[in-house]
Amino acid sequence: MPPPLSTELRSQVITVYKELLNLGRDYPKGFDYFRPRLHGAFMANAHLQDEDEIRQAIARAEFVRKEIEAL
Amino acid sequence: MRPAATRLAAAPRIQSSFVAAPKSLVFQALRCYSSAGGLEKTEVYERIKQILTGFDKVTDPTKITETSHFANDLGLDSLDTVEVVMAIEEEFSVEIPDKDADTIHSIDKAVEYITSQPGAN
Repeated sequence: MPPPLSTELRSQVITVYKELLNLGRDYPKGFDYFRPRLHGAFMANAHLQDEDEIRQAIARAEFVRKEIEAL
Repeated sequence: MRPAATRLAAAPRIQSSFVAAPKSLVFQALRCYSSAGGLEKTEVYERIKQILTGFDKVTDPTKITETSHFANDLGLDSLDTVEVVMAIEEEFSVEIPDKDADTIHSIDKAVEYITSQPGAN
């Protein structure tokens, strides 16, 4: 296992993941379309170690969340 | 003399009627209306098992046992675990704070957590 992420960043990631997951229930193409893609997008960034890079990724997730909220 | 003899004869009858009370009746008498329902471990396990069986990432439902570890036995990653915990929150109408959610890595931990929550139903 890689060294543990700072707990603060970890909980931020989990929070935004949960928010996106809840929003995805009403996604136009369906939750079954949405969920694997959301999962994949988060997993693609799972290797990030640098805290600034992680913050950028979280900011990107927040941006996507706002876009989906606006749908 | 006669009343004493009657008492002696009656005594064993009373005693035996106390001994004969079936255990189940004793338990029923102790159940108060004010006591919380409380969930049985087996029921909680069955419902969690149901959640996991319906989870498409769990490819082999036979691997679900009372002590299964989400990552090691069921092949779930950390994000899947977050989803399982969310599903458990919904199923039992409880809110699991992040710090507790982080400690739930296996079915027995989840069962233990839910049975310790008085609000779970």
